[in-house]
Amino acid sequence: MGIKQSPVWSFFSSLRLTLVLLAVLAVLAVVGTLVPQQETAQELARRFSPGTIQILSTLQVFDLYRSVWFLLVLGLLAANLVVCSLNRFPVSWRLFKAETPADERLFRDLPPERTAYPKGDREDILARAERALRRRYRDVRREELDRGVVFRGQRGRVTHLGVYAVHLGVLLILAGGVAGALFGFDGYVHIGEGETATAADLQGGKGQRNLGFAVRCDRFLVEMYDNGMPKTFQSDLTFLKNGQPALQGALLVNHPLTFEGIRFYQSSYGRSADGKARLSFTAKGEKKTEQTVTLGEAFALPGGEGTVQVLRVEEDMMQMGPAVKLGIRSDRGGIQFWVFRDIERIRRDNPGLYDQVPLFNPGLFAPYIFALEGVEERYYTVLKAATDPGLPLVMAGGLVLLAGLMIVFVVDHRRVWVLVEDARGKVRVAVTGRGQRTSAGLDRELSDLVRVFKEKGDAQG
Amino acid sequence: MMSSKILAWVTFLYFASFTGYLIGMIRGRDLWGKIASGAAAAGLLAHTAALLLRWKESYDLGIGHAPLSNLYESLVFFAWAVVFLYLVVEWRTRNRAPGVFVVPVAFFLMAFASLSPNVNDRIQPLIPALQSNWLTSHVITCFMGYAAFTVAFGLAILHLIKGRKKTGGTSRFLGLIPDREDLEELLYQSTLLGFVFLTLGIMTGSVWAHYAWGAYWSWDPKETWSLITWIVYAALLHARFVRGWRGTRLAVLALVGFAAMLFTYLGVNYLPSLHAYM
Ligand code: HEM
Repeated sequence: MGIKQSPVWSFFSSLRLTLVLLAVLAVLAVVGTLVPQQETAQELARRFSPGTIQILSTLQVFDLYRSVWFLLVLGLLAANLVVCSLNRFPVSWRLFKAETPADERLFRDLPPERTAYPKGDREDILARAERALRRRYRDVRREELDRGVVFRGQRGRVTHLGVYAVHLGVLLILAGGVAGALFGFDGYVHIGEGETATAADLQGGKGQRNLGFAVRCDRFLVEMYDNGMPKTFQSDLTFLKNGQPALQGALLVNHPLTFEGIRFYQSSYGRSADGKARLSFTAKGEKKTEQTVTLGEAFALPGGEGTVQVLRVEEDMMQMGPAVKLGIRSDRGGIQFWVFRDIERIRRDNPGLYDQVPLFNPGLFAPYIFALEGVEERYYTVLKAATDPGLPLVMAGGLVLLAGLMIVFVVDHRRVWVLVEDARGKVRVAVTGRGQRTSAGLDRELSDLVRVFKEKGDAQG
Repeated sequence: MMSSKILAWVTFLYFASFTGYLIGMIRGRDLWGKIASGAAAAGLLAHTAALLLRWKESYDLGIGHAPLSNLYESLVFFAWAVVFLYLVVEWRTRNRAPGVFVVPVAFFLMAFASLSPNVNDRIQPLIPALQSNWLTSHVITCFMGYAAFTVAFGLAILHLIKGRKKTGGTSRFLGLIPDREDLEELLYQSTLLGFVFLTLGIMTGSVWAHYAWGAYWSWDPKETWSLITWIVYAALLHARFVRGWRGTRLAVLALVGFAAMLFTYLGVNYLPSLHAYM
């Protein structure tokens, strides 16, 4: 039993299967847009019972486009495509190669406007017919019928093979997608202004990937239009290989940079506490002292009552604005408390705050009262770093698919026949043609050909 | 802005054209059809002028870009493409029957663009993600595809109406609708055209996404829905090409495809998406 008779082969060679698979694929894709995917799915988790979530996760509903189901359907579709195409190819090839001999019947019942009785002798007209056809069709053949001589011209027979280009394109794109998923990577690099990063956080919390070089963000720039819409996000980057600057450039949205095969994209940005804060304090009746402190730094109080250490610097503590946490060591022992920049507003909104949460009282270490003037922030940039070895395949697939579409739908396989015969002492020329598709184009072509024989002084043939 | 004023008149002209097609169809008079075609053509001319003017106005504001950058502009361009393609079809087939179903779509798009409080008609500068040479080719190809599918949609409805001949209706009305075979051929051709454009639209979009987001495909809802639309139409083409589907089943698939297309365009905005600005 040949492979073509096997049940597996015949299963995969049905176009009904294709239609079913396409429908399933469409339905799965719809589900994927309705159910939150990946990161957003974690929010959903709070609304369902753990059991439900467990079942849904096992079904990979939250990562549908990478799920076994989805890949299975794609795989079946690919097999379907290959088998159908192989099955079908011999037929298409025969159509491509077909050389149907000219037939009397082609010239039966032709309307008068498709015939002409040109002046001149037979040989002359034959030559003219051949010239006219060669000018218009690359592939021209001469045949002898009982009635006379027939020239056949054709063009566009490649249209029978276009489908295979389309399908090959689809397969290449799928293959490229798989190659990219298997051998490429996708991560994000967070770099504060002035800092250097050497690793990317892989998507989906799958750890980190060492870049093999360092990226420094020399400057981050945001520009706004007058109406407040963002105009430019730009990171000025320096790529360092073995500590030596190797490439410098501005990274903008839509203008990625490539270094050592890894492409970098301007993805997003943000502002973060820089670990620096401007702190002020007064003892009762004394003058206010202001100083800039850094996370971890310790300093002595002017009166020698104790040592203050900066334990934390937050740009937005519990959504109540910037705050620092101080620890003070003294003869009285250790004490810790928070200093909020907006403490007055917080107290107004929460009467009795200091009684409930003494930790929020900036005057906890009497007689000093601390105040936070502000937390210094600085930009950080988020770059996307990616490699995709499948990309060339996908691009080739796209081009092949597009070319195939054009070949299938724009190119028409057209054949025209010109019969030159003797008719009661005159020479009669009859023109007819066939196309794959109904279109006005063929009619125009035929009229155009007839005209060659109808007009006087038509040496232009 | 001058261009907005012109567009208001264009909306009115499309409505007039729709009315003309409708009366022409009910009364079976050619004159009304001619008036309708004239109104649509005049509207299209003014529409073209308004688009060019808006383009120029954006340069006057110092933020020059093709008028294809937000919901308002895409609605206006969509309507333009619908009327343009429809008039080409009308001219090539010399039949005005589909106008009754196609031109009102253009009218609704224009009316929605100018009347909906959620659609901002101001010329806005381009945010960084939109500052790409691919924006123009992406939007033009997508919306030409949408427009071709819209024409196919009008033809599919006609096809279904014609198919229900037995259940009555004025026979003069039905007499004006082309034969089902002709309708089907036209339906198929518009779908093909739409399919090629949608393919181009998805490809240009992928190239753009590759530069802007570092991934040619990220299963963003808009991308996914465009793929769904593509699949529906691919199924339609295969059903006809290979399995020889004809008639009602094909027309119904064209309606399903149109629904998927509309959801890709407007419905997706209610799902979280990177494409939020369109
Ligand atoms: C992108 C647009 C596509 C076009 C224009 C297209 C076109 C065609 C055409 C014209 C045929 C008939 C071949 C013939 O009669 O010789 C065909 C067959 C087929 N197509 Fe496609 N195709 C496309 C995409 C796909 C996709 C995405 C799949 C599924 C993965 C697919 C699966 C098939 C299969 C399985 C057959 C074979 C059916 C048979 O020979 O009985 N095609 N296609």
